[in-house]
Amino acid sequence: MNMHAQPQRTLAETALIDAFGERLSLLPGDGAVMVKRDDAIEAIKHGLPTRRVESWHYTDLRRLLTSVPAFEAGDIAKALDPVLDGSAVLPVLNGVSSAKAPEIEGVTVERLLEKLTDGSIAPGLDRYGADDAIGALNTAFVADGYFIDIADDAELEKPIELQNLQAGGQTHVRLLARVGAGAKAIIVERQTSEGGEAALVSSVSQLVVGDGAEVTWLIVQEQPDTATHLAQFKAHIGKDAKLTLFVMNAGGKLVRQEVVVRTTGEGADFKLRGINLLAGDTHTDTTMVLDHAVPHTASTEVIRNVVTGKARGVFQGRINVHQYAQKTNAKMACNTLLLSDEGEFSTKPELEIFADDVVCGHGATVTEIDHNHLFYLMARGIDEKAARGLLVKAFVAEVIEELDDEALVDALEARLDAWFSTHG
Amino acid sequence: MPAVQETIDRVRKIDVDQYKYGFQTEIEMDKAPKGLSEDIIRLISEKKGEPDWMLEWRLGAYRRWLTLEEPTWARVHYPKIDFQDIHYYAAPKSTPGPKSLDEVDPELLKVYEKLGIPLKEQEILAGVRKTDASELEEANDNVYKSGRVAVDAVFDSVSVVTTFKKELAQAGVIFCSISEAIREHPELVQKYLGSVVPTSDNFYATLNSAVFTDGSFVFVPKGVRCPMELSTYFRINEKNTGQFERTLIIAEAGAYVSYLEGCTAPQRDENQLHAAVVELIALDDAEIKYSTVQNWYPGDAEGKGGIYNFVTKRGDCRGHRSKISWTQVETGSAITWKYPSCILRGDDSSGEFYSIAVSNGYQQVDSGTKMIHLGKNTSSRIISKGIAAGFSQNTYRGQVSAHRKATNARNFTNCDSLLIGDQCGAHTVPYMEAKNATAKFEHEATTSKISEDQKFYVMQRGIPEEEAIALIVNGFVKDVIQQLPMEFAVEAQKLIGISLEGSVG
Repeated sequence: MNMHAQPQRTLAETALIDAFGERLSLLPGDGAVMVKRDDAIEAIKHGLPTRRVESWHYTDLRRLLTSVPAFEAGDIAKALDPVLDGSAVLPVLNGVSSAKAPEIEGVTVERLLEKLTDGSIAPGLDRYGADDAIGALNTAFVADGYFIDIADDAELEKPIELQNLQAGGQTHVRLLARVGAGAKAIIVERQTSEGGEAALVSSVSQLVVGDGAEVTWLIVQEQPDTATHLAQFKAHIGKDAKLTLFVMNAGGKLVRQEVVVRTTGEGADFKLRGINLLAGDTHTDTTMVLDHAVPHTASTEVIRNVVTGKARGVFQGRINVHQYAQKTNAKMACNTLLLSDEGEFSTKPELEIFADDVVCGHGATVTEIDHNHLFYLMARGIDEKAARGLLVKAFVAEVIEELDDEALVDALEARLDAWFSTHG
Repeated sequence: MPAVQETIDRVRKIDVDQYKYGFQTEIEMDKAPKGLSEDIIRLISEKKGEPDWMLEWRLGAYRRWLTLEEPTWARVHYPKIDFQDIHYYAAPKSTPGPKSLDEVDPELLKVYEKLGIPLKEQEILAGVRKTDASELEEANDNVYKSGRVAVDAVFDSVSVVTTFKKELAQAGVIFCSISEAIREHPELVQKYLGSVVPTSDNFYATLNSAVFTDGSFVFVPKGVRCPMELSTYFRINEKNTGQFERTLIIAEAGAYVSYLEGCTAPQRDENQLHAAVVELIALDDAEIKYSTVQNWYPGDAEGKGGIYNFVTKRGDCRGHRSKISWTQVETGSAITWKYPSCILRGDDSSGEFYSIAVSNGYQQVDSGTKMIHLGKNTSSRIISKGIAAGFSQNTYRGQVSAHRKATNARNFTNCDSLLIGDQCGAHTVPYMEAKNATAKFEHEATTSKISEDQKFYVMQRGIPEEEAIALIVNGFVKDVIQQLPMEFAVEAQKLIGISLEGSVG
C-alpha cells in the first residue's frame, strides 16, 4: 500500500470501502478472521498502490481501477467442461463453492466457507508485504473457495480442476491446497467469466508442496475483456519437492497475476512457464517474487509474451537469494514479441543476491518477428500472414511443448489455437 | 610469487582502511554560515558575482526544492540528512577565483601534488617532467598532443585553477570553471544550463540547481576535435560542507571531446554530502566521452563516515548521428546513487555506458544508467560489472525505453556481478520499456562467484590459483577498462585489483 496519505479517494477506493461496510454482516468468520479483514480494509483505506510503489510501478492500480462493479452477478447454470479430459471439477460459481464436491480418492475437499466460519484459516489470511494490495482486497472480502488436502504418497490418477467462474459482479475467492509428502498431482486453476458484464475478481491460491511431492499447477486465465482480474499464487516448496507452475493469460481487461514462491527445503525445484497472449486495449501484469531461502535449490522461469493491438504487458520477476542459500541455481528469461505499433511491453527482471556461491542469471528480450525467419518461410511459398502466424505460434508453443505430459500439451495447444483463431 | 604479492598489495590499497587520499589540509577557509535559505543562495550568487538571471534561476530551483520529497526507491539506507546542518559554501580564503598558477596558494598546490594531479602544465601525466623552459617547448612539440591533460581543480566550493586554457583557446575550445563561464559566456550558459537536467528534475538535482558553487564548463565549437583530454579534479576538504558542483559540456556539430573526472576527500567520521549535476549536449555528429574515476572516502571498516554521492548525470544526444559515452569506475563513497543517462533524441544517435562498481566494507552502491530512445535508428549499449565484497550492497539499476517514434531502436545490456564473501549482496534491477514494435532490446545478467571450471581451465595450464583468480577478475572487468583513456586505465586497474584469497574455493 502507498505510504503517503492520498489526497482524495478515487471512485473505486470509495466503492470498495463502502461495500465493505455494507457487506460486513454477510461475510463469514468472526474473531480472528474479522481482525484480518479489518486490517486489510485499513490498508485499502490508505489508498490503492500507485506507480510510486515500486512493485506496482508499471500497473498503477489506483489509476487503472476506474470503477468497481456491484456484488450482484448474473446467472450461471453449471460448471464448464474441464481443460483436461477426465478431471475432477471443483467449481466456484459466482463466488460460491459447491456443496456436492466429487469424491476423489486420497483427497479431502472442504468448502472454504466452513473454514472461514470456524476461523481455522485465519493465520493464512496475512498479506505477504506492505504492498500486497491483492492480498488485502481478497482478505477483506473473501467469502468462499476450497481447501483441498492431498494425502501423503497419494498419486492422483485424475487431475483436479478448480474452476472459478462468474457472470459479472464481484467475487473474491481463495483456493488452498496442501500436497502431502511424496504425493503427485496435477491441478488446474481455471479463471473465467460468462457473459460480457463488468467483473472484478480477486483470487488467491495458496499451495504447500510437501517433501518429495511433485505438483504441476496450471493457471488458465481466459476472462472476457470486461473483467478486472487480480490474482495471486503463493507456494512453499518442501525438501526435494518439485513444483511446475504454468500460467496462461489470454484475456481480461486489467489483469495482474502475482506469483509468490518460496523454497523451504533443500533440493526444492521450481519451474515457472508462462505465456501471455495480449490483445485489444488491455493491461496484463505478471509479477513474480521468488525466494530461495535454503541452500541447494533450483529454479527456472521462462515467460513468453505476444503483444498485439493496443495491449500493454508487464513482467516483473524478482529472485531473492537469501544469505545462507548457497548453491542456488536460478535462471530467468522473458522474451517478448511486440507485433503492433500501439502495443507496449515493460519488463523488470530483478536479482537480489546475498549468497556468494550461487549461479544466477536472467535474460530479457523485446523484439519483432525476425525478418530472416519470415524470409525463410516465405521463400518456401508460404504467404506472409501464414508465415507470421506460424512463427508467433512456434514462439509460444515452445514453452508448452516442454511440459512432458502429452495430454497437458494437447490441451494447452488447443487453447492456444482458440486464441489465435479469434485474435490471429 | 610476484603476482600474489601484487594482488595482496592491491587489496591493501583498496581496503577501506587503506584509503590513501584521506589526509586533510589546514587552509584558511571562507565559509557561508550553516543552513539553507534564500539568503544563503543570495550570498553564494553574490560571492560568485553572478548576473540577476542566475540568481533568479537559483531561487526558482530552491522554491521548487522546498516542495519535493527525498527519493526512497533506491536500495540504500542512511540516516536522514539534516540539510540545515551543512555549509553550502566554503572556499580557500586566498583564492577567491581561478587565477594563473603562480598566484595559487602553495598550500593548495601541495594538496594536488600529494594527490598526484598534474597542475603544472609542464607535467605530463605519464610522469615526464621538464623544468627547463626551452626543453618544455620542445616537449610540447614532440609529445603527442593527446598525451597531455588540461585540468580544472575544484577545491570544496570553488575552482582554484584551470590549466592549458590558452592553448585550448587557440583551438576555440572554452574550458573554464562554470562560475567564470557565467560571467564570461552568459549567452552559452543561459542557452544550455538546465536544458538536459531541468531545475525540477529530482530532489538532489533541484537542490544542486539552487546552491551549486562550481564545476567545469566546456564548449567545443563546430568541427573542432579538442586537442587534449580535459579533466576536472574534485576535492572535498572542509568539514560539514556539501559539495555541489555543476558541469556543463557542449559539443557543437562535428566536435569531439574526451573529459575525465576524479574525486577524493579526507577521512572523517561524519558523512558528507556531494550532490553534483552533469549535463552533456552533443549536437549533429558530435561525440562526447565522459570518464569518471570516483574515489571519494568510503568510510572506515565499521562503516563510519564517508561521502554520500548523490549525483545526476545526463547526456542529451540532441543532434543526428551524435554519440555520448559514459565510462565510470566507482570504488569510493559510503553511498553512491548515480545513473549517468543518455537521451537519444537525434536520429541515428548512440549512447554507451560502461561501468565498474566495486564495493567493500559497508559501502552501498545503487548505480546504473538510463537509455531513453526517442529518435529513429538509435542504439545503446550497456556493460556493467559489479564487484561486491565485505558487507557491501551493490545494485545495478538501469532503464532502457523506446518511445512510440523510436523506430529501430536497439539496445544491448549486459550486467554481471561478482560476489566475494558471503556477507555482501549483489542486485540487478533492469527496467525495459518498449513502445515500438521495431525496437530490439536484449538484456542479460549473471551473478556468480568465479566458477570452478574457469579456474580449472586456467590452472591446468600451469598457472597457480591466486594468479588464476587475478587473471579471471581482470578478464571480468576488461570490457570496461578498455573504454577508459590510457592514463586512467592504469589508475583504474590498480583501484579495482582485489584479492580473492580466502574467499574462494
